[in-house]
Amino acid sequence: MLDVKKVRGGSGLDPISAEVDEILASAEEAARVATKSFFDSFQKDPNPAALATWLETRVWREIDYVYLLNAQIGRYGMRLQRKHITLLAKQSFQEAEHYEDLGQVLENLGGTVPTSVPAQAQEWSSWLWECMDRHHLAGIAAWYVSETSASGSFEPTFEGCGRHGYTDVVKCYKQIEIDEKFHTGLGRQILSTYTETDEDRAEILRAMRGMQKIAWKTFTPENVAASMAARSASAAAVAN
Amino acid sequence: MCAEPSVLESIETTMPLQVLRTTRESDSVVSLDLATIDGRPVPEWQPGAHIDVKLGNGLVRQYSLCGDYTDRSHWRIAVLRDPSSRGGSQFIHANIRPGQQIQVVGPRNHFHLVPAERYLFIAGGIGITPILPMLQQATAAGTPWTLVYGGRSRTSMAFLDSIRHYDSGNVFLIPQDECGIIDLERFLSRLRPNTAVYCCGPGPLIDAVETVCQTWPPGSLHRERFSPRQRSESADDGSFEVVLAKSGRVIQVAAGENLLSALEDAGYKVTNSCRAGICGTCLLTVLGGTPDHQDDLLSDDQRDSGTMILPCVSRSKSKQLILDL
Repeated sequence: MLDVKKVRGGSGLDPISAEVDEILASAEEAARVATKSFFDSFQKDPNPAALATWLETRVWREIDYVYLLNAQIGRYGMRLQRKHITLLAKQSFQEAEHYEDLGQVLENLGGTVPTSVPAQAQEWSSWLWECMDRHHLAGIAAWYVSETSASGSFEPTFEGCGRHGYTDVVKCYKQIEIDEKFHTGLGRQILSTYTETDEDRAEILRAMRGMQKIAWKTFTPENVAASMAARSASAAAVAN
Repeated sequence: MCAEPSVLESIETTMPLQVLRTTRESDSVVSLDLATIDGRPVPEWQPGAHIDVKLGNGLVRQYSLCGDYTDRSHWRIAVLRDPSSRGGSQFIHANIRPGQQIQVVGPRNHFHLVPAERYLFIAGGIGITPILPMLQQATAAGTPWTLVYGGRSRTSMAFLDSIRHYDSGNVFLIPQDECGIIDLERFLSRLRPNTAVYCCGPGPLIDAVETVCQTWPPGSLHRERFSPRQRSESADDGSFEVVLAKSGRVIQVAAGENLLSALEDAGYKVTNSCRAGICGTCLLTVLGGTPDHQDDLLSDDQRDSGTMILPCVSRSKSKQLILDL
């Protein structure tokens, strides 16, 4: 397997590449541990509603990426080579496909596809957009960590969903796994190509460190339990 | 979630600059010193940076900044009068005079001077321009360097006086009419660890440097091309055939046809995503023939092995390519 962190591009990340790789590895491992923890919990109580709730924030990520990537192109696109505008647009299209496909899986599980940011994804979404607003490379740096962290969730998801016969989830995630090689490679190439100053590097590290602290949280069983409890409380309040 | 901006908005803005002076640097190169209209300092830049110059005739051209990067009273660019010019250099030589205003965007820098224990600079013709401030920076840092600078003739080679200022036996001037073309083997055949090679010049020079540098550690060579690399083709007409080893099937790939698309059209499903040589998901094993790598992902060692290819962008240098399919 090829390492997309080694994609060719500029040398803008060279002075911080060791720290960047450390953040990525840490984020990926944290997501792996959190996902495994969720599926260990799911093994004890394989409630489809829990799996649906776990998928909700993931589905939201896909559509939030679509908005973000298009905003990135709209706001900063003219600083990029044409091929990078094309590739960001292609990524946006693939994220929309993931939203559609994962959304279908979510509905099959009895869940509802989110059309506004779920409470449990609020912190993640806010950080992503704050970074995008703040600096022309920071949004890309934040989603680069977020996408890389998701890579850590694949194997536990394949194992956990496969064990319970959720083949449609596995199939969907297999495609996402392929596409995320592209997305993370593109993120790395754009950052290394367009990073020029120490200020750029500081903003990139700030965005990455911030996302490192957040990205894994939505994968945990505690997060899912909190979402389900909040939904129950909300339903009870409506009933009363 | 934040609202998206409704209009296309570029962070980089166009800046008017005034031409302070023009200086003939060789028989075909003129330099332009550019200052702000209101006398404020020009933006900071680092060696390797370039600016876009918007010419009054609607053309936009990129020029490396080649002056003193610590002097913010003005920027300097240098322009070669190119007989094959599509309008940019001819326009500047014929029309730009001191006192005129021009619009510029930048600076941008995709050709940074990375830290190294030693530098080897190779410049061909007007490719000396991004190298000049690098000499200044390396000298200021006390980092040893060697410059190899070639040109058609001594009178065509710009900035020779500035370069002599740095010369302490580490400058090799190679006018072609006196010395022939640059003997790259002489300067590059001996691999020096922790040396960064910087090359700027015509495409054939950079191609030749890339070839000689294949044995150097990955990442040693930094180059800036005047124009995108001409993608090489395999056979005389650019076509080649692919033999699929597992089935023995042979597929013809026409000139200009994408290898991955040809495989798909023949009914082969190859995992892929970016179709741009970035993700590596379409990686195939090569059993014979010589791949023509055009991707952005394989390392130099992986390319040199000749055993793998990303068919979404790469082709074949040989008339036949054998794939493990």
